[in-house]
Amino acid sequence: MNYDLVVCGVGGQGVLTIAAVIDRAIHEAGLYLKQSEVHGMAQRGGAVSAFVRISDQPVASDLIAEGTASMVLSVEPMEALRYTQLLRPDGCIVTDITPMENVAVYPKHDALYQVLFSAPRLVAINGTRLAQKAGSIKVQNVVVLGAAASWLPLPPELLEEQLRILFTPKGERIVKANINAFRIGDAASRFSAALFSAGVAPTVIARVVSQIVFEPQAVPQPCIEAWCQRLLRADAAQLAQSLFDANQAVAPEAVPAV
Amino acid sequence: MSEVILLGDEAVARGAIDAGISAAYAYPGTPSTEIFQTIEDYVKAHSLPVRGMWSSNEKVALEEGVGVSYAGRRAMVSMKHVGLNVAADPFMNVAVSGTHGGLVLAVADDPSMHSSQNEQDSRYFADFAMVPCLEPADQQQCYDFTREAFDLSEKLQVPVLLRLVTRLAHSRSKVTLDAPRAQNEARYVDDPRRFILLPGNARNAYASLVDKQKALQDYSEAHPVNALTLREGQRPGILVSGLAWNYLQEALGASLANYNLLRIGCYPLPVKKIRQLLDASSEIWIVEEGYPFIERYVSALGLMRERPIHGKMTGALPRMGELSQDAIKRCFGLPVGVGLQIPGLADVLVGRPPVLCDKCPHSDAYIAINEVIAEFAPNTRVMGDIGCYTLGAMAPYKGIHSCLCMGASIGMAIGAAHAGMNPSLCVIGDGTFTHSGMAPLLDAARDNTNIKVFILDNSIVAMTGGQPTMATDEEVVDLVAGLGVPRAHIRIVVPSPHKKQHTVATLREELAYTGLSVIIARRACVNYAKEIKDLKEVREQRQGIKVVAA
Repeated sequence: MNYDLVVCGVGGQGVLTIAAVIDRAIHEAGLYLKQSEVHGMAQRGGAVSAFVRISDQPVASDLIAEGTASMVLSVEPMEALRYTQLLRPDGCIVTDITPMENVAVYPKHDALYQVLFSAPRLVAINGTRLAQKAGSIKVQNVVVLGAAASWLPLPPELLEEQLRILFTPKGERIVKANINAFRIGDAASRFSAALFSAGVAPTVIARVVSQIVFEPQAVPQPCIEAWCQRLLRADAAQLAQSLFDANQAVAPEAVPAV
Repeated sequence: MSEVILLGDEAVARGAIDAGISAAYAYPGTPSTEIFQTIEDYVKAHSLPVRGMWSSNEKVALEEGVGVSYAGRRAMVSMKHVGLNVAADPFMNVAVSGTHGGLVLAVADDPSMHSSQNEQDSRYFADFAMVPCLEPADQQQCYDFTREAFDLSEKLQVPVLLRLVTRLAHSRSKVTLDAPRAQNEARYVDDPRRFILLPGNARNAYASLVDKQKALQDYSEAHPVNALTLREGQRPGILVSGLAWNYLQEALGASLANYNLLRIGCYPLPVKKIRQLLDASSEIWIVEEGYPFIERYVSALGLMRERPIHGKMTGALPRMGELSQDAIKRCFGLPVGVGLQIPGLADVLVGRPPVLCDKCPHSDAYIAINEVIAEFAPNTRVMGDIGCYTLGAMAPYKGIHSCLCMGASIGMAIGAAHAGMNPSLCVIGDGTFTHSGMAPLLDAARDNTNIKVFILDNSIVAMTGGQPTMATDEEVVDLVAGLGVPRAHIRIVVPSPHKKQHTVATLREELAYTGLSVIIARRACVNYAKEIKDLKEVREQRQGIKVVAA
């Protein structure tokens, strides 16, 4: 078993924290890892990445070969596109859609989302909104980690456990916010996967899932089914676009009427 | 025995601690910073009797390490590759004097220049100084080789250079730790003459270093990391060193079994094994991270024609930048994977270089400097230096017009002024000023050169992660005055939006004066407020102790 992922974002967004949590979980799972990362000057608001390589055999290379990563996990939507050269054609992008605009020439949001949402396997979430729901804007990165959890070759409980260990010194409130964030992200990701299995178009899934404010638990099955039915209708693309353009928090059970 | 996940730098640090170091010294620089950081944190957390500090610069760090060695104990000194240029003088000479207690110098190279101004290869320095170099390929070797390096240093009485590269220093994997060794007792060197490098002694000491080469060569030939695998019949061969081994394994996979193979991780080069590889192989690929150091030797600069050689000098591998499994695949004509293609991606993906933080005091300093120099000739230049403020070279500030090496801004401004440039300005941070800016400022003071030196005092070494600065606030003023700059032309401004008027007025006054001025832009880094407060408290406590002692 080999599973390579790129964790990325902008300096200061907690990219290396995500990588550290995954590392610890890999070690606890009794698997091998190699994880390389960028430090130093690049962290001053620049693009930051970490390569995490998981295997049941010792890992040789510190870098990921082109076209071999199974996942890009990004805390920022433009950064999610920076490493697609490393991603397998059937690989998955898990990303926050909140732009970090600290460059003068940041692309127009519509154009960016148009390209990003055309990725074949994508989990797109609104990390800012979900982090607030979880109890702290600072846990945005952990929401994204949660959204990646069900895809990783690691038990989600192990990841949760490592979050608990890592944040315990900062107090119970911080631990709780992180665990909530992780579970909210996980719920979003599983919901997204259910829509995908039901045959909902990826562009529709991205626009809808990124507007829903998930609870820190799985979306109830009848609710998932209702969404699937609604998003398999002929007007799904228009509905998804209008939800996305409205940019209003949507409750998981608030399936739009026909 | 315990297992932990460690960065390469952390593994070196733990190796040094477990090897029984009594002291560690360093100057921060990516990708080496975490070595000393880890030692400092571990020593503090476990209350170990290990001394040391973030030194003023790399030269001082190494000299402190040599002092520990002289006294018979073990020292770890760490720095980035360009830091070894600063420490080159003690490095070349401690090779001659030899060591007493184990002395290991961990140097982290930065191929691809992720955070550096060049990608120089420290193996050349080890070769130049005629000392051994160990080149780990993974985190376990970082730990093991560090421990071994101390033993080797004591056994053969030479300093040992441990060469790391960015991807090793900043990559993590599992490391199995061994039982720690006790520290040495202090025991001064028996015959100090070899440390007194007067010509008569130096000739003897150098002869001794030359004599040691045989033992070093034997050590390297016998080292298990320099592993030679010869297969049946005449086949192509590969010579691979250090981290490149990781990439080679993945690039070639099972087909590696079709090649003769020599791995190298210990220098001087094992020439007998290289000879065997050449004799047994039809052609040779040389795969190494950094400069084509081995290739230049083995191919005699391309003059050696007995076997075809493929490497960085022949263009088979990229001459610059880091290696990767894909670069090696291309070299061997193997297919490279194709990533996910998303139409239109190039139109919405732009570069995101590092930038000065929001509300950074350096931004306000550049805004004020730019406003004032706009009143002068349009091509007025500002010599820059190394730190976060180097980012001021980028838009929107475009505030500096040079960045050569640590401390170069002041010397370059002096030279430019002598060449007729007027005004001649330069900016340097508080950390870089005490690293290597004081000597050039002394030149300027003695010469009363007409330059304007901006010291951007943000109270911390910020770029490398918030290490303590050697001087801040009034300490900087005292240093500058002590070097001979007249108090009337040491001006203090606060780089902030609402003090801008005062800053600009002060700059105008000093630019109107013909002679040396130092303008200190004093405002704490916004990113390390807590660290700065803690450091200032420690400093005040120390000053309190001093007063009591007086």
